[in-house]
This record gives sequence, structure tokens and C-alpha cells, in this order.
Amino acid sequence: MKLTDKIPRMLIYIGLVFWAVINLFPVYWMFTFSLKNNDEIFGENVAGLPQNWIWSNYTEALKTGNMGKYFLNSGIVAVATILITLAVALMATFALTRLIWKRRKTLNKFFMLGLTIPIHASIVPIYVTLSRLHLLNTYLALIIPYAAFSLSMAILVCTGFMNAIPRELDEAACIDGCGVWGIFLRVIVPLMKPAVATVGIYTFLQCWNELMFANIFISKTALKTLPVGIQALSGQYTTAWGPIGAALVVATFPTLFIYVFLSKRIQDSFVAGAVKG
Amino acid sequence: MKKLYSNKGHILLFLIPAIILFCGILIAPIVMSGYYSFFDWDGLGEKTFIGFSNYIDLFTSNRIGFMKALGNSLVLALLSVGLQLPLALGLALVLGKGIKGERIFLSIFFMPVLISTVVIGQLWLKIYNPDYGILNVLLRSLGLESWTRMWLGLRETALGAVFIPTLWQYVGYHMLLLYAGVKSVPKELREAAMLDGAKDSQINRYIVLPYIKPIIRISVIFAVTGSLKSFDLIYVLTNGGPFHSTEVPSTLMIDMLFLRNRYGMGSAIAVLLIILCFAFALIINRVFKEEE
Amino acid sequence: MKKILAMVIAALMVTSIIAVPVHADDPVTLTMWCIATESDANRPAYEQAIAAFEEAHPDIKIEWEAFENQSYKTKIKAAMSDPETLPDIFFTWAGAFLGDFVAAGNVYCLDDTYANFQEQLPEVMLQNASYDGGHYGVPLTMNIVTLFANMDLLAEAGWDHVPETYEDLTACCDALVEKGIIPFGCAGKETWCVTEYLEPIIEKTIGYEALNEVFAGRATWNNPGIAESVSTFQDMINKGYFDPSGMALGNDEVKANFIAGKYAFYQNGSWNCGEVNDAEGNFQVALFPVMNAENATYGQVIGGPSDTLAVAASSKNPEIAANAAFELGRDICHYGYLAGSGLPAWTPDYDTSEVKALVADVAEIVAAADGMTLFGDTAMSADPANTYLDYVSLVYGTEIDGQGFIEGLAEELQ
Repeated sequence: MKLTDKIPRMLIYIGLVFWAVINLFPVYWMFTFSLKNNDEIFGENVAGLPQNWIWSNYTEALKTGNMGKYFLNSGIVAVATILITLAVALMATFALTRLIWKRRKTLNKFFMLGLTIPIHASIVPIYVTLSRLHLLNTYLALIIPYAAFSLSMAILVCTGFMNAIPRELDEAACIDGCGVWGIFLRVIVPLMKPAVATVGIYTFLQCWNELMFANIFISKTALKTLPVGIQALSGQYTTAWGPIGAALVVATFPTLFIYVFLSKRIQDSFVAGAVKG
Repeated sequence: MKKLYSNKGHILLFLIPAIILFCGILIAPIVMSGYYSFFDWDGLGEKTFIGFSNYIDLFTSNRIGFMKALGNSLVLALLSVGLQLPLALGLALVLGKGIKGERIFLSIFFMPVLISTVVIGQLWLKIYNPDYGILNVLLRSLGLESWTRMWLGLRETALGAVFIPTLWQYVGYHMLLLYAGVKSVPKELREAAMLDGAKDSQINRYIVLPYIKPIIRISVIFAVTGSLKSFDLIYVLTNGGPFHSTEVPSTLMIDMLFLRNRYGMGSAIAVLLIILCFAFALIINRVFKEEE
Repeated sequence: MKKILAMVIAALMVTSIIAVPVHADDPVTLTMWCIATESDANRPAYEQAIAAFEEAHPDIKIEWEAFENQSYKTKIKAAMSDPETLPDIFFTWAGAFLGDFVAAGNVYCLDDTYANFQEQLPEVMLQNASYDGGHYGVPLTMNIVTLFANMDLLAEAGWDHVPETYEDLTACCDALVEKGIIPFGCAGKETWCVTEYLEPIIEKTIGYEALNEVFAGRATWNNPGIAESVSTFQDMINKGYFDPSGMALGNDEVKANFIAGKYAFYQNGSWNCGEVNDAEGNFQVALFPVMNAENATYGQVIGGPSDTLAVAASSKNPEIAANAAFELGRDICHYGYLAGSGLPAWTPDYDTSEVKALVADVAEIVAAADGMTLFGDTAMSADPANTYLDYVSLVYGTEIDGQGFIEGLAEELQ
């Protein structure tokens, strides 16, 4: 390799490593201060590894802060939302791309309206609706709105994937005697696997972060989600950074851990989604 | 087959869950908000019909500061398209070409997207803390004492300080979208160009970019509408303060709805936000179409 | 003898078993929302009061949830949009905050139940939660704005007492600044903390009656005395009496700084007494000095009963809930007073010799008070209160001067 090739390559790597550091440093700092006491955080040892590893910050975050419970709640809500979104979106996409009827283009555009609607735009009417349905203070009070707000994106992604499935497969299944449901469940859905990861990620991000609905629709400590729990805990420990750091780590690391294992699949499905979308 | 796929009953059955969910949770409440936006109402007592007064006030009253808030979110949108997306695109092009450590870099760059916004907010609150935050500590240790600031407490710096984590967090998101596009460029196209002696920059410019244009368009739409809708991070970091200098339409709306008991006005902001997001999405689509 | 005793006990047991269903038809569950989160100074008082209540009423169960202050305001207002979703008993601030809910017909009137508690709870304490002659809220504690002083730091600057005149206060602050000690800490991130400084200055300049009239909207903001007060406050800021980082800090951080000895003074609600009292160091409580002796006296204070429990009109058991609200209010007041998280709105009928020193001092100040003005943001209704807070925050940032403050508010709040 020539020298003229090497220098730009070096520069590219320097750039990449620099950006990687910018992405990793806040997380590293969060992890280190979650194990320190205020003396270290506030002066003696700001950015280094902790001198005394104070694991009690974690017991405090888990016990007083209920972080374990909140994490579980967020997990339940996220998984249920993803499942419902997927089921509803796959069915709708099937009708929008495969079934034959007038105005399906119009309805598709109608669903795409959802992409532009901010989640907080109508918080009070949604609150009243949920209350009439006696759903407040249940997981469903979050799952249903989150699923509704994820639907447009899910249909958008699924449409790309489903359009790419050759129609000959439907024909063949039809000749084999499958009904509409048979074709949908046995032919289409199994081929939609790559869409699952993409939709899953989008939906996950939506409900994992959401703070306002979670605060207003849930009043029972036992059902609160992570964002609400972290906000509450940081209100309680404004001046003791250790336990807050621990709570932030508890809220973050399990997702990152799962991500490490799934990152290749997630990235691949994004790639697949881009080809089809 | 055609007969099977034209059955009205089946069509309805497949669509009903989506329509119920969509109309019940998104459309109906927004229609309600649209209705309330024509009233002077505190959300509790009697409603007074006032026509478009709320909307007129939003655009004319300096006191409410809607135009300022809108301006802020447009600046964010501009930065997002002008800084965040180019950075994401650059990373996507570099990584998409296939280099050593591609997967690791990809995973690291996407990581901030997976961290809850509230966590990011709390973390950056600590980073910006005037006394003990890592930013000021770093400046002091570099002997730049005079550069230290109360980043989130000053009118001049707060907006920038709020935007940086907002932009930072989603670089990875756009990068992955665009990376996926770059990866989907057929190998043959690339190889053919390389055989013709094209340089990397030329391949990117004449082959990759035109190919991934539809994805760039989606990225731009997400960046702009996302900026207009931005809420969580700002809510955690400053909640619109100091002196409303970091106010965006969403925080202003929550302020009107829940702090000032001006329910009609809050609803008007909600309706305007939706219209704006929709209008921008249409405009961006149009711009990209015209280029083709 | 033993046999008789055994028989008596057996008989008692039988009657008590039979008697239970007679006393209470069905066990009742009351729901309650409050802001006494784990870290709140009032938390132990709530816990003790609820335990005492459930012991006294075994047939009633209290299911309570505590929310962080800021998110609670959103939550309770959303709940008001559908009264069915309100808990039986809810925490609220007195004044206009509760007034809006009362006006909407969402709050149960407590007049009948109050008759049973009249002896222990003076009617004047219900004043801030009374609308059109009806009582709608049970006060818990009452609080006033208190000037906390770190005597060790004052001693370093050569002061052995808290300055009682403005001249002395400036002299003291100048001496502190000279020693490199920051005189005051004030959390700019939470504007109510700024009002804890500004309102006493205004009161000590124009007098409590005049300030009351302004807050109630009966007198104009366009009052030269208020502009003068703002100038006084901004003078103090410009002379470096306030921690410059304050603008970016929250109240908890500022309070922690004060307790850690970073500031000489901290002016905030008397609910902090317990915490300051228990902290290491030598602390005293006082009031802000008089600015204009023609209008004001030293004994005029800002404050009053504001923390309140109210009962939802939609409650299934409004009478039981109302009774519970009073009993809980009384006991929260009792335990809170002993813990130093507030002064009693209820007349103490228990041993108060254990009350913490600083709390007792503030109680004495209140007993000798010449006049009282309720906190401005509590006295005003939501929209004007937030406009007022906006202006106060502009004052703290020295973005507007006194003239701008009074003219702006006069124009916007008329």
C-alpha cells in the first residue's frame, strides 16, 4: 500500500476513534461515579476509576429507588407494546399491500399521518379515554397508547418488507387450498422475520424513553416505569450523586448488554429494511 | 386468488384493530384538542368560545413566546439537518465501505440511541453542573478557568447546552439508517466504478448518494419532525428555562396545559405542532421529488 | 379469681367478635395522593400518622402514593379533567391552586366534619382553603419564610448575632465577602426559591397589608415601593452577596451547600428547621430586617398554612374520607412539628418540650408576628402566578430592573 493511501486511512481511524470516545466517555463516567462517594466525585478523583468501590450505592438505588421493579415494569410494557404493534401492523399491512380494494392508498396515507403527531399533543383527551375504559393504573394504560403511536412507523417498515415478498407465493398457497388467514399466517408472517427486529427497535425506543404518559397514567408505585422512577429518584438524591449514578447504570446496562448480543441481527435487519423500504 | 383477496369481510377484519387503535388514541383525541383550541378554558370550569383568538395570540403575543419557542425548534431542526445528518452520513459512508472494526464502531455509535432519554438528561445535568460537572472540571484542569460557565443557567449558553446532547444522542440512529442504505448499494456497481478507476469520493458522490437518496429523504423528515416534537431531554435538562430561553413548542404546551391552566391555548399549540410537522414532511418530500 | 378473669376475658372476646360486624359494615379503603416521597422531610410524619389512623380505625385502610413535587402538579390537574380518577384524599396547596378545583365542583365541602374538630383547629387556620364561606381543605402545617444563619461563618466575619437592620446586614455581608465567604445561596432553577428572598424584602418595604392587596389583585403592581425593593435585591446580587452558580442550581443543592457551610445565610421556608437544626454547626433563625419603618415592622412575615389535604367530591365515602382527612391532618401536623418539618396549624395537645430548638424559635417568631402575607404564587391563581414567577426569575437574572418589574406586571395582571 502506498503512503498516500495510508495517511487518509489513519485520519479516518483517528476520526472514528475520536467519535467513539465521545460516545463512550459519558457512559464510562456514569459507571465510575455510580461507585464513588461525593468526596471523590466532587474533587479528589473526578474522572478516574473509583478508589473505594461503593457497591452500597447500588443497594440503595435498588432498595429505596425500586429500580429493579421499575426496570421490570418497563420491560413488560416494552415487550407487550412490541408484540401488539407487530400483530396489528402486520395485519393492517397485509390488507394495505395484498388485499384488493379501493382507497387502500388513501388509507395508507391516513396512517402515515401518525408519523407527524407528537406523542404529547393530546395527553388529556387520552387520559379521559383511558379512564372511561377503566384502564388507568394498569400496564395497558401505557401499552395501548404506545402501540398506537408506534403503529405508523411499523406499517411503514412492514410495507417495504411485504411488498418484496413475491406474489407467486400467495398464488401457490392459494392453489394448495389456503384461505386468507392461512396465507397470512403460514406464508407471509414467517417471511416477515427481518421486519420484526426493525419494528421492535423503533417501538422499543418509543416506549423505553417515554416520561409524560408514564407519569400521568400510572399512580401506583408497583406499576411505575423507569423514566418516572429515575426522575423521582434524582429528585430525592439531588446531592448524593452515587445512588443516582447507580440507578442510571441499572436502567442502562441491561439494555446495552442485550444489545451487545443482538447488535449484529439488529444491524442486519436495518440493512434489510433499507433495501425494501 | 383475486376473489379470495377481494372479500370485504376479510379486508375489514385485517384492518379493524389498526383502525380502532389509530383512531381511538391518535385521531379522536386530536379532534378533541382541535375543538378545545377554539375556547378560553381552564380545563375545569365553563368554556367560552373565542374563535381563532388562541391561534392569533400565539402568533402575535410576545408574552406567550410561541414564536420564540418555534424559532428554537427550527434552529434545532436546522442544526440537525446541517450538522447531525452530515456527520451521520460521513460515518455511514466510511463504515459502509467496509473497514476493519466496522461492527464495533457501528455498535458503539448506535449505543446512545438505546439509552433512555431521561438517563441521558440526568447524566448531562451532571456533566454541566457548574461546581462539580466534568465539563467545568476539565476546563479548570486545562487552565481555562475563564471558560467555565453555568451552562444551563445562562441565557446565552443554555440553548446550545441543551441541543448538544439532543443532537449527540441521535447521530447513531441516522447513521444506522444511512449505513443500511449504503450497504444496500449493489456490489457490482461499486466494483464497476472501481475498475473504471473512480476514487472513493467519486464513488460516494456519483453512485452511493444517488442510490440512497430515498433514505436520506426519510432521515431528513425524521430529523426535522423530531426536532419540532422534541420534548423529553429539554424537559429534564431545563424545562424551558432560564427565562424561557430554551422553550420549544412541546414544553410550552405542557406549561399552558398544566401550569397555567390555559387548556384552550395548550390545545392550540398541539394542533399547530401537528400541522407544522405535516407541512414540513410534505415540503421535504416535494423538494426531494423536484431534485429528481 | 383466675376462673372469673378467664370467663370475663372469654366473654369480652366473644362480644368483640360479634361486635366487629356491628361497628363497621364493610372494610373501607381510602386512596390518598401526596408529595411526601422518601426524601421529603414530611415522610416520617405521614407514615406515623397513617399508622396511627389505621390502628384507631381497623376497618379503614389507607392506600397512599407519593409523587415528586413537580410531576404531581401535572398529575393532579390531569386527574381533575376526569374527577372519577381522583383519589379520595389528595394533597394540595391552599389558596388559588385549590380554589380552581373548588370552583369546578371537584372538592367535597368539609363544613359538617369541621364541627367535630373546631376545638383543636382554630378557624383562622382554614382561611386560605375557604371559598365563599365554605371550608374545603384541612391544613397540615404552617410555614413562614425564615432567614437561616450559620453563626460559625458569621463569627469569622466578626458578627456574633444575626443583623437586625439593613445597614447591619450589608455591613455583615461586606465583611463576609471580604473573608471570601458567600453570604447567600438562592436556587434560580426553582423560581419559588427566589420569591423566598424577594417577597420578604417587598413586605418589609411596603408593609404586609399593602402586599396582601397587591397579591389579591385589589391593588396595582405599579407601586414605587415594589420597584425600590427589587432594586434593593438586585443591589445585593450585584455586590456579590449571592452565589453566582445559584442560577443553575436547584433548591436541594443550595440547601446542601448551606448546611455544608458554603453560605452564611439561606432564606427559605421554616419546614427546613428540623434539617438545619440536626445538621452539624451552629445555626440560628431570624427574619429579614425592616427596610422602611414607616410601613413595616420586624415582626411581619411571609407565609401561612398552605400544605393542605382535600377530599374529592367524587369520593364513594366522602364523610369517612373527610373525617380521615382531619385526623390525618392533625397527626401529620403533630409528628411534623416534633420532627421540625413545619409549625403546627393545629393547637398542640401533646407534650411539646421535645420540639427542636430552631423550630421552637420560629414558633416564637410566629407567635409574636405582627402580620402575615401568604406566599405570592399560592395566593394568585395559576396563570397570573406563573407570569409573576417569570418576572421574579427575570429579576434574579438582572434582566429587568424594578421599574420594568412593576410596569410589566401591572400591565399583564392589571
